[in-house]
Amino acid sequence: MNKGAWSKQKIILISATLLLAILFPHVAPYVALASEILIFALFAMAFDLMLGYAGMLSFGHAAFFGMGAYTAGVILKDLYPSVPLALLGSVIASSLAGFIIGFLSIRRRGIYFTMVTLAFAQMFYFIAFKWTSLTGGDDGLQRVPRPSLGPLDLKSQIVFYYFLLFSVILCAIVLFRIVNSPFGKTLQAQRENRNRAMSIGYDVDKFKLRAFILSAFFSGLAGGFYALLLNFVPLNSLHWTNSGEVVVMTITGGMGTLFGPALGAVCIILLRDIISNFTESWTFIMGFLFMAAVLGFRGGIIGILRSKLRLSI
Amino acid sequence: MHIPVQMDAGKGKRGMNIQFVIMQLFNGLILGSIYVILSLGLTIIFGMLGIINFAHGAFYMFGAFVAYTIVAYLIPNFWVALIAGPIFMAVFGAACEAFILRRLYNLPPLYVMLFTFGLMLVLQDFIRMVYGAAGVPFRAPSSLDGAINLGFMFYPKYRIFLIVITSLCSLGVWLFLSKTKLGAIIRAGTDNSVMVDALGINISRIFTFVFGLGIGLAGLAGVLAAPLQNVSHLMGVDFLVDCFVVVVVGGMGSISGSIVGGLIVGEIIAFGVMVWPPMAHTLIYIFMAAFLLIRPRGLFGREAFHE
Amino acid sequence: MLCLNLIFMRKEVMTMGKGIQLMGILVLILGFIVSPGFTAEPLKIATLTDMSGPYAELAGWGNINAAKMAIEDFGGKVLGMNIEYVYRDHQCKADLANQKAIELYEKEKADVIFDCPNSASGLAVTNQALKYKKIFIAITSGTTRYTGDLCNRYTFHWAYNDYVLATSAGIWAADNLGKRWYTITADYAWGHDLLKHFSAALQKRGGTLLGNEMVPLGASDFSPFIIKAMNAKPEVLALLNAGKDTVNSTKQAVEFGLRKTTKIVHALLFPEDIKAAGPEVFADNYVTASWDWTVDQPGVKEFVAKWMKKFGRPPNWFNAGNYSCVTQYLLAVKRAGSKDPQAVIKALEGYRFNDFFANPGYIRPEDHKRVGKAFILRAKKPSEIKEPWDYFQIVGVVPADQAYQDVKETGCKMGGF
Repeated sequence: MNKGAWSKQKIILISATLLLAILFPHVAPYVALASEILIFALFAMAFDLMLGYAGMLSFGHAAFFGMGAYTAGVILKDLYPSVPLALLGSVIASSLAGFIIGFLSIRRRGIYFTMVTLAFAQMFYFIAFKWTSLTGGDDGLQRVPRPSLGPLDLKSQIVFYYFLLFSVILCAIVLFRIVNSPFGKTLQAQRENRNRAMSIGYDVDKFKLRAFILSAFFSGLAGGFYALLLNFVPLNSLHWTNSGEVVVMTITGGMGTLFGPALGAVCIILLRDIISNFTESWTFIMGFLFMAAVLGFRGGIIGILRSKLRLSI
Repeated sequence: MHIPVQMDAGKGKRGMNIQFVIMQLFNGLILGSIYVILSLGLTIIFGMLGIINFAHGAFYMFGAFVAYTIVAYLIPNFWVALIAGPIFMAVFGAACEAFILRRLYNLPPLYVMLFTFGLMLVLQDFIRMVYGAAGVPFRAPSSLDGAINLGFMFYPKYRIFLIVITSLCSLGVWLFLSKTKLGAIIRAGTDNSVMVDALGINISRIFTFVFGLGIGLAGLAGVLAAPLQNVSHLMGVDFLVDCFVVVVVGGMGSISGSIVGGLIVGEIIAFGVMVWPPMAHTLIYIFMAAFLLIRPRGLFGREAFHE
Repeated sequence: MLCLNLIFMRKEVMTMGKGIQLMGILVLILGFIVSPGFTAEPLKIATLTDMSGPYAELAGWGNINAAKMAIEDFGGKVLGMNIEYVYRDHQCKADLANQKAIELYEKEKADVIFDCPNSASGLAVTNQALKYKKIFIAITSGTTRYTGDLCNRYTFHWAYNDYVLATSAGIWAADNLGKRWYTITADYAWGHDLLKHFSAALQKRGGTLLGNEMVPLGASDFSPFIIKAMNAKPEVLALLNAGKDTVNSTKQAVEFGLRKTTKIVHALLFPEDIKAAGPEVFADNYVTASWDWTVDQPGVKEFVAKWMKKFGRPPNWFNAGNYSCVTQYLLAVKRAGSKDPQAVIKALEGYRFNDFFANPGYIRPEDHKRVGKAFILRAKKPSEIKEPWDYFQIVGVVPADQAYQDVKETGCKMGGF
């Protein structure tokens, strides 16, 4: 994955992606969709840290996304309408949740780990559902304001998009640094062979917990952005099927590559928007695509790009 | 919010008399019975094939729709649907395994799980496309209409029938697995499929059979539950997560675990509903999380699966 | 370059040099002579509805067709503008609804959005309506918050709301079915709201609420609650839930024989539910509706006949509501003389009218609720059903002033534009 050297191919690819990202709001069906894609790209990258790099399948990531969204929403609406404060709140809340859930779940591996995360996510959902005075319950948290950030009038969809683009690129850089650092390498090592990593002397569980918290951090940040984008927080952002969606995005994009899941998010959301204007059976099509991806293209889109175009990403 | 409630004089604590508690016990059994049949299928599949079948709820739902189709368009007879439905699902499941799932066995179990997740989406939306989103009518047979006077209370005949059928079924599955030769092979295959294969037994055919059996059970649960609730394309979604709870509590791969776990979960919900209805469902998730943290192999699961 | 001139000429004739001015004016005049409707922007109408989720049969294509038919019947044009029509599917998901509303207002340049089933979705759209300063008229969803704490100048609520469902049924049933009630309520904001209004209506008529059971949303097993209800021996059982919960709770109530001793009143019950579960499940149950295809009002027979001819089945009251609403909107545009949202809003506020759906109809300026009378329907026994979709019989009428909440009590603080 990381060759260290900045090959010509890589530079061209990265520049092309950046250019596309800058032009994207003008080619996408509508600007708010482009923003939504950025948010889920971030969510998918955060998720990939857990699935692709640490090798842990969590079906409860919606809990962190949702915590981030609700925290930002409540801060913006009820406390003080400040974007930095709200986002700070999001990441603190989701990281805390990540610490607690991670601490309890890491003890188990494989399918049991997945089940625990699912159970916790469901609990969060039901709590949000019942705590109507705080979360709005089934109606969701309505009327979340989107105040300006300094000179930036975020109320404009296009200004908000570029603000998001800047933030997501920043996060992507950080995530890339993380996975290519010794910490990231150790994560991948323990994913491949837990016992060997332990025998070398690494406290594997500690690494996993840190990865969990980091993943929760960025998922919560994505959630905070989502609350700002929608001007409200829907209850089903906490539902386990939302976790399922990000799994689909990560796998279709190509897990373990960070860039892949981001690409997966772009494709899935774009396809959903375009196809659902023609047919009501988008779920059927997405399910089919997903099954095909698992059966045939396990490397995801990145895998296809790598083999067909012989790219060395 | 304060709701003005006037008590009917002479009733005592609202509805919490012994009659009600016993009724609830029975209702917990009903719910539990459906969970038992569903989880039996799930646990057999996991035990033998190592697959977590995310599509299990969807197969349950599919079974209900197959029954509806038989009754509404082919032969308007509940009993025919009760036999034919699960058999159809078993064949359908076996076909899925033989033609598709088989290719994923040499991959990490993650992929099979994900595949079944995709399958769930496809099955549900397919039913929505064909039958619509509102649901379809399905009634218990008229011979089972009405209630039986059990002396201290009236209880619907159909529900009693359900308890009887699921008990017979669970007993049947247990006897099959513990007393027959094929059952022994299946149990051996669950322990060590490579060895069984090395002994000359066609293990892949056993896999197909077991998967078919598991899906057939899911279909049976669907047919049995159909008269009690709204038969719609989403009826399996909530049941799926509950099933996971049962299998975790009972122990993955354990038959007795499914039976005991299913009944326990059913009763927890029933009693939760009596005591604190809003949290009844959350209670089982807390229960599952507790189990996972303290005793992940569940009640009857094997140590080897504690991974 | 030329179009730039045109734009500037339209707004600020003095800002360019004299030569360009002249040329610009000439081009403008030419343009007006050559193609009269060339620069007239079309009026864009949008429907946001659920086409693949739980409300697909109820709303979905039915409401889209209703809007299309209304536009067609109006002549396809208003005030010289062509009417364009778009629709979007929000799959009953609130976040999608929010995004689609943004797409419709911003990219599609829709002037108005109709419908939006599911209250959470609709409430999100009201926020976007306020943000983009365009009209949104909710039809298929029923939350009283549209005209309550989340009301705004750009939002209207057309067909019904939870208050009218609960209060009308409550008043009528207390007068006609019995005064001792039990309720089974879906345990979330909507259910609580309904319960509040039902018990208030019941008390007004001198009835007693023997007890209430809160049931988690989507529960599949209602038997414990039904047993408790039966133990209290009420004359009426009110099922304050909808959709799947209504079907499950009613199926199980029948199973336990509750209907032998107790009448059942629903908060919401649609012909589609009856078809989905089978009429014997709902036989002799009662519910409120704003309209039914068997109502004897001027215009109904013609509308139903036209609809039946085109779609093979009678319209439900959301379809009818959408048709009526789109038509009234277009009439309002005509009255306002422009499609400017603020002008149209003023033309809608306080308007009194009669059409096949609302007779009488009145759009309250204080909270933007369309009010009218409410009908009490009884679900027919299978033996009484003479033709397909003939599921209901109208047994009572509740006048508008009793059916809808007093404007002073809605809690709506209608802002400005």
